[in-house]
Amino acid sequence: MAIDGLIVLDNTGRPIIQSGFRLATAAYPLLHIDAFNTAVLKSQRAGDIEPVIYVAPFNVSDPPTACCHVECGDIRILAPVSGDVDPLFAFAFLQTFIDILREYFGTISAATLKDNFDVVYQLLEETLDSGGHPLTTSPNALRDIVLPPSLLSKLLNVAGANITSAINSGSGLGAAGGPFSSPIPWRKAGLKYNSNEIYFDMVEELKAIVNKHGTTLSSSVWGKIETNAKLSGTPDCLLTFTNPHVITDCAFHPCVRLQRVKRDSAMSFVPPDGHFTLAEYRFTPSASATSARFQAAGATSSVLAKENVPIPFLLKSTVELTESGGTFEFILTSRMPSQTLESIVAEMYIGEGAGGVKCVAARGDGGNMGRRGMPDSSSGSSTGSWAFDAKKMVVRWEIPAAPPSSVWSLRGSFSSSSVVRPAHALQVRFAVSSYTFSALKVDQLKVTGEVYKPYKGVRGRATGNIEWRW
Amino acid sequence: MKYLQMGSSFLDDVSALIVGIGFVVWAENYELSVDLNSGYPEKRKDAIKRTIASMTVGKDTDDLEQKKLVYLYLMNYAKSQPELVILAVNTFVKDSDDPNPLVRALAIRTMGVLRAEKIIDYLCDPLQKCLRDENPYVRKTAALCVAKLYDLKPELVIENGFLEQLHDMISDSNPMVVANTVAALTDIHISASAQPSSSTSDPGIFNISASILNKFEHICERVVPQFQHVNGSVVLAAMKVIMIHIRGVRREELIKTLVRKMAPPLVTLLSAPPEVQWVALRNINLLLQKRPEILSSELRVFFCKYNDPLYVKIEKLDIMVRLASEHNVDPLLSELKEYASEVDVDFVRKSIKAIGQTAVKIDAAAERCVNVLLELIDTRVSYVVQEAVVVMKDIFRKYPATYEGIIPTLCANLDELDEPEAKASLIWIIGEYASKIDNADELLNIFVDTFAEESYAVQLQTLTAVRVLNTATNCDSPDVRDRAYIYWRLLSTDPGAAKAVVLSNRPPISIPRTTVAPALLEELLGELSSLSSVYHKPSETFTRLGPVGADSVQRKGTGEFPDEDQFSAKKALQTVAAGQQAENLLDFGDDLSMDGQPSGLAATQVLHQTPAAASLMSGMSSNPLDDLVSIFGNASVSPTPAVAASNPMAAFGGSGFGIAAPAATSPPLVQSPTQQQPQEDLLGLF
Repeated sequence: MAIDGLIVLDNTGRPIIQSGFRLATAAYPLLHIDAFNTAVLKSQRAGDIEPVIYVAPFNVSDPPTACCHVECGDIRILAPVSGDVDPLFAFAFLQTFIDILREYFGTISAATLKDNFDVVYQLLEETLDSGGHPLTTSPNALRDIVLPPSLLSKLLNVAGANITSAINSGSGLGAAGGPFSSPIPWRKAGLKYNSNEIYFDMVEELKAIVNKHGTTLSSSVWGKIETNAKLSGTPDCLLTFTNPHVITDCAFHPCVRLQRVKRDSAMSFVPPDGHFTLAEYRFTPSASATSARFQAAGATSSVLAKENVPIPFLLKSTVELTESGGTFEFILTSRMPSQTLESIVAEMYIGEGAGGVKCVAARGDGGNMGRRGMPDSSSGSSTGSWAFDAKKMVVRWEIPAAPPSSVWSLRGSFSSSSVVRPAHALQVRFAVSSYTFSALKVDQLKVTGEVYKPYKGVRGRATGNIEWRW
Repeated sequence: MKYLQMGSSFLDDVSALIVGIGFVVWAENYELSVDLNSGYPEKRKDAIKRTIASMTVGKDTDDLEQKKLVYLYLMNYAKSQPELVILAVNTFVKDSDDPNPLVRALAIRTMGVLRAEKIIDYLCDPLQKCLRDENPYVRKTAALCVAKLYDLKPELVIENGFLEQLHDMISDSNPMVVANTVAALTDIHISASAQPSSSTSDPGIFNISASILNKFEHICERVVPQFQHVNGSVVLAAMKVIMIHIRGVRREELIKTLVRKMAPPLVTLLSAPPEVQWVALRNINLLLQKRPEILSSELRVFFCKYNDPLYVKIEKLDIMVRLASEHNVDPLLSELKEYASEVDVDFVRKSIKAIGQTAVKIDAAAERCVNVLLELIDTRVSYVVQEAVVVMKDIFRKYPATYEGIIPTLCANLDELDEPEAKASLIWIIGEYASKIDNADELLNIFVDTFAEESYAVQLQTLTAVRVLNTATNCDSPDVRDRAYIYWRLLSTDPGAAKAVVLSNRPPISIPRTTVAPALLEELLGELSSLSSVYHKPSETFTRLGPVGADSVQRKGTGEFPDEDQFSAKKALQTVAAGQQAENLLDFGDDLSMDGQPSGLAATQVLHQTPAAASLMSGMSSNPLDDLVSIFGNASVSPTPAVAASNPMAAFGGSGFGIAAPAATSPPLVQSPTQQQPQEDLLGLF
């Protein structure tokens, strides 16, 4: 009646690891793997398989089931579900499981999972009950019951020695200590740190669609407060903001006391140990405040722009398509007042059967600066660089750092053997460090309940993912 | 074959598992690990036996990790080796007294999972102890174990008073224990009532609130804060609670506040990964059918990005059309036009369809939509043009005689159409506006010439537009043949009546506000966030066994639509009556005169003047029932006189063109009772 288990597939669709499926027939996981692989074969593009696949039963007498799946690195994780369950429940669990794997192994790949078979199996056992209930999903609590792999334990294992850690001996695991003894599910009891620190990273992402006239069609800024807490004991934190009104639609970590947020927009919480996301929010700009922070570089002060976050750059494009190919020219101008736009990546899909891509990336709007020859021979940092991904049919243009008001250009052409059908849009990603779109500012952080004074840090980071049509 | 392959790869993995476990657990026992890896099944089995034997005789390992892996191994292979597992029972019972809480929990969990009758008998005592364990981890593991035990032997659970103990545990000091106890109780409830219930899902909050509180308003107010939960599943579950209980809320303003509060969390869900987005979008689609006002100002959130996965794009498109209103139609149209130039053909078609739907939905925007469509037709991209023509037909149906000016543009693209649906649509348009198109007969002749080569849909449309009866009666498709015969008979007996049938007022088309029946919609909203809300089907259809599901749906169907049944019964009676009339040739005049059509007798007399029809008439009267059968049945038994078939066009002259086609979607026979009447009576004539 819920998540029946998990199956991890490698990128060829072969199972690497799967949970026990003790309540189901042996054919059950195979049916799901097969249903998934069939769906992969049928889909034209890899990402286009519906996330919930209907799986017909093996016997006519069995009820049909469904298969939820997510991709993560070079592996796919399937979660067969039966009965009328909430698919979001399955996806939430899959996401949590991926987070746990990341927490344990750093990167997730078929290779790392194969190297750590034993740990993955233990994790599966601890996180998912055979009846389909998620058990322990907080990494804090998990670390108590499943030891993360470490070089030391591996060496000892090979040497045949026995690790006698607290977890094995059971010493000190009486009523006071041990797993789950803490009254707060997300925090271990009796934590001790030499230096007490807590850091807040405010990460905001601008997602926008801009039409060919440079008018923003839709834009939204999603923010996260990512926190890294290394605090001893059971501290009670109170985080206040100077301008809490700029954020709306907040979603909080369960540790945040909602009543307090409702009363005065302050976040009061006992933090989990280690990394966690304290809150997610959406930034809704008020008309005047934000546009004043940007240069009036572009004349895009339409009615729409008022309720949108201004895009921190301007892109001019000229694309001409012919029977057998096309030429394009993109000019990107930074509109940031003082910050540098970092790691700008612009991508354009040029259609099946295209090839023969030739480009020139330059700094400045062409004219005197351009024509430095092929970018792969010159140093990429001064001109930007380009590449053509023949597998995805994507032209990629990268600019490592664009100072304020700098102008960058990419000219090029491509040929096509079939009908020319490129995407009418450029996907542009960028990052700005020490900056947030919302300008959300932390007023102060009070830590009570403990005697020490923790070291506190707040950082902002902005990223953008913009579709600019031409 | 596929399964075999999958099976073998699975077997590889089993041995890989054994490698993994074998290596870690028995690194010090090299020999055993080699045996566990052995390619010979017997050797492997032997190794397993020895593994378990060493456990049972007390050569127990004190490394927890090793113990865990052995237990894990046992759980996985308990099914295939039940007799071996029983050997380990003593160890389990012993471990449930271990000083280490992890070991206690592990033992209880393993015993619960093994599902062997003999083990269960040993389970009760340790379970009793563990439910009262001092460690919360053990308590929560034990709580879940009770649910498993109930699944196997409910009477044991009741005898031992485990249920009461679980009820007490709801007030446990540790939230993890409470959550798991609620989950266990829910499981027991489900298996006890053996009914699919969907709310096993999240933190138990909702189950408790639903069972303890009965006041609708109170529930709604309690649940709203959960909209801010970071877990999308909780958010949707909260929505579901609201949608169920809002029916009982009487205060208008509270309903308004609730609805207003639902928008932000839904929008927030759209910033999630595509999989979650998709589930959210499917649910939003349902919610909007009930309460379109929820997201009325959020159209822009649903604009598609080029690199969204196809399934997300299609859902977004659907929702955008749903949200279309006079205020936002301009940005919507320019957006849709943008999509029509995208790479993915399926998506392009869907967006053009969306333009048509918008035109039909919003009268004021129809002209702008038509202009956009014309621009798209100008692009001359084959699939764009074809889809635009299909969409145009719907617009013509909704707004008859409004956009005749664009017909020439459509006709100019005649040669480019190669898909049946587009062709059929264009033929329909030409037929409908034949009087306005100078060279209509010329255009239609093109289709007549190629009639035999066209697909059935095109044939049907051509047929209704021009009546190429002679070719059609030789056609392979029964549908085409039947319709050809019906028209032929109609035309040959009574052109006036035929005109009435074919040119009758078609019901105006509109975009259905809901894609599912209202009663079903209510049910689905109650199941919000579950699989049925994703499939847009009630859960019986996919969780129960095939025939049962189908039955219950049918039952529901008849419960919901009694009218339809009565209608079909009436229709059957009519048919019988018509048949009787046919036998009684002398009476046929009476009935027809009621229809306000030229009376049947008069019409036939007029027809007698044309020789073809005369011979037809005489042929008819000789054996009326046979012909009735031949119309609906197999053409091979038809005694159709060849004279008439040879040249129906000549018999009716140009007037045939003036009589145009009914909508492609609704063949004349199943239109409405009023139209049914003249037709059946006419058939009765024969």
